Amino acid sequence: MSVASEEKTTVALGGLGDARPTVRRDAKENSPRRLVWHTWLLTARLLRRWSRDRATVLESLVMPVVLLVALNIVLGNGISQLTGHSALYGSVPLIAMVGAMSGSMVGGIGLMRERTDGLLSRLWVLPVHRASGLLSRLAADAVRIVATTAVIMCAGLVLGFRFRQGILASVAWLLIPTTFGVAFTMVVITIALYAANTIMVEATEVVWGLLMFFSSGFVPVDQYPRWLQPVVRNQPMSDAIEVMRGLSVGGPVLAPMLATLLWSAGIAAACAIPMAIGYRRAGMRG
Amino acid sequence: MTDTAAVRPTTSAVQQWWVLTVRLIKPTLRNGEVLTQVAASIMFTVGFYIPLKHIMSAFPLGLSSYAQYLMPLIALQAVTFAGVSAAFRSATDSVQGINRRFKAMPISPLTPLASRMSASMYRCSTALAVSLVCGHVIGFRFYGDVAHTVGFCLLVLLIGAAMAVIGDLIGTANENPEATMPLMLPQLLILGLLSVGLQPVERFPSWIHPFVRDQPVSQDVYALRALAGDSTPAAGEVTWSVVGPALAWVVGIIVILLPLHALVASRRR
Repeated sequence: MSVASEEKTTVALGGLGDARPTVRRDAKENSPRRLVWHTWLLTARLLRRWSRDRATVLESLVMPVVLLVALNIVLGNGISQLTGHSALYGSVPLIAMVGAMSGSMVGGIGLMRERTDGLLSRLWVLPVHRASGLLSRLAADAVRIVATTAVIMCAGLVLGFRFRQGILASVAWLLIPTTFGVAFTMVVITIALYAANTIMVEATEVVWGLLMFFSSGFVPVDQYPRWLQPVVRNQPMSDAIEVMRGLSVGGPVLAPMLATLLWSAGIAAACAIPMAIGYRRAGMRG
Repeated sequence: MTDTAAVRPTTSAVQQWWVLTVRLIKPTLRNGEVLTQVAASIMFTVGFYIPLKHIMSAFPLGLSSYAQYLMPLIALQAVTFAGVSAAFRSATDSVQGINRRFKAMPISPLTPLASRMSASMYRCSTALAVSLVCGHVIGFRFYGDVAHTVGFCLLVLLIGAAMAVIGDLIGTANENPEATMPLMLPQLLILGLLSVGLQPVERFPSWIHPFVRDQPVSQDVYALRALAGDSTPAAGEVTWSVVGPALAWVVGIIVILLPLHALVASRRR
């Protein structure tokens, strides 16, 4: 909003006596200060849009909670008998990750719609920091994931999930889904920029479905066939679930934490350049 | 003026239906959507079977193997996913305004819906075929006669049709179908988890028994299990008391939703 008005004043000043207005290009358009300010503006815009779409908000907050309750009813007893721990220490992180990943589709679809509507091209011709468009999407998704995780955590607390490692660990627990979730959002955005609408949605669903079924949060790792166990143990969702298990009930934290960070960094690094190129193309061609 | 009011072209409903159906099916072969369909069907098979085999086999199920026990739910989930994703595709159509365009053309109002349903059935058949192959790999077999096997497939496809009608209705009625439709998968998963497809009703807490037993997925699973048969007699007989409720649910959903669909589709935007 303030970006647009700024441009208008520049044009008006330059064009007072001249027939052809000389638009003074804002030298600070690409400054880091502008980056922060513009990212903040665009993030707030995305979050406001998201919060006004009541049906989507309800679905993305309520559905994971119901899924958690259903999973707990079906598998809770069996797993507790097998492991001696409440199954919730695996299933609450599992559902938090599922919520983070399935919700990222909404962002991807929004991006496609804004490309079709021409908003991306519009932003491209305005004096907006080039990086803020993509950064704001990631920032908005990070906020969404923290909110979803908090809701799922509350549901878990009602069901009997407890933090036993202190306040600091609990806060860290709340932020773990965000690290991998934002990396996954980058994947979704990249697919959204290159592939057809329906492919993006269905492929994303298959990916999070597979990661969910074959993770250490669904059933204990020793329930899988021996040849599959290394895959199950080392896939990114299991790593995140193990960190969260360690931060709540206790157990190793450092190794799975490093693995989660490596996975996220690797995925982010692989996506960053195609994503930036795709976004630039979408902005320039409309 | 006289020229513009020329004779209406004679149209053939069958040809229109065919053209519109091909229009929906062709892109799926070209852009790889058929691959995601196959992947989803495989996912439901391995995703339920491999992790749950040991946990669930620890308790008596009655049937000869867990694959035999699980197959109805696998087929249902795969077909439901196919039906809903097809509907998602047609909802995109309605947003882009092509349905409005069709209304202004000499096309019977039911033809676009019929072609969308045909395209959905194509997807459902793919899903059913893939999940039957996957089921065969994990050890599922048909023990009934040919009529029962055909009945199994037809009932699964009918359920897929009902899901496609539900999806199409939501897609047509909703202002923002792209955002809400993808979130239907968790709901399908929830109904599947809280059904007798994974474990017998006795293993659920007693307060939820009535829901688990009577919800449509469970009733469909009972019917499909009887139609598939088993080497032991535990799968149940194919009688109206077993298959009837499943048919009643499916036919009921279709009969109630079709008029509703006509109402929503005729609404002006």
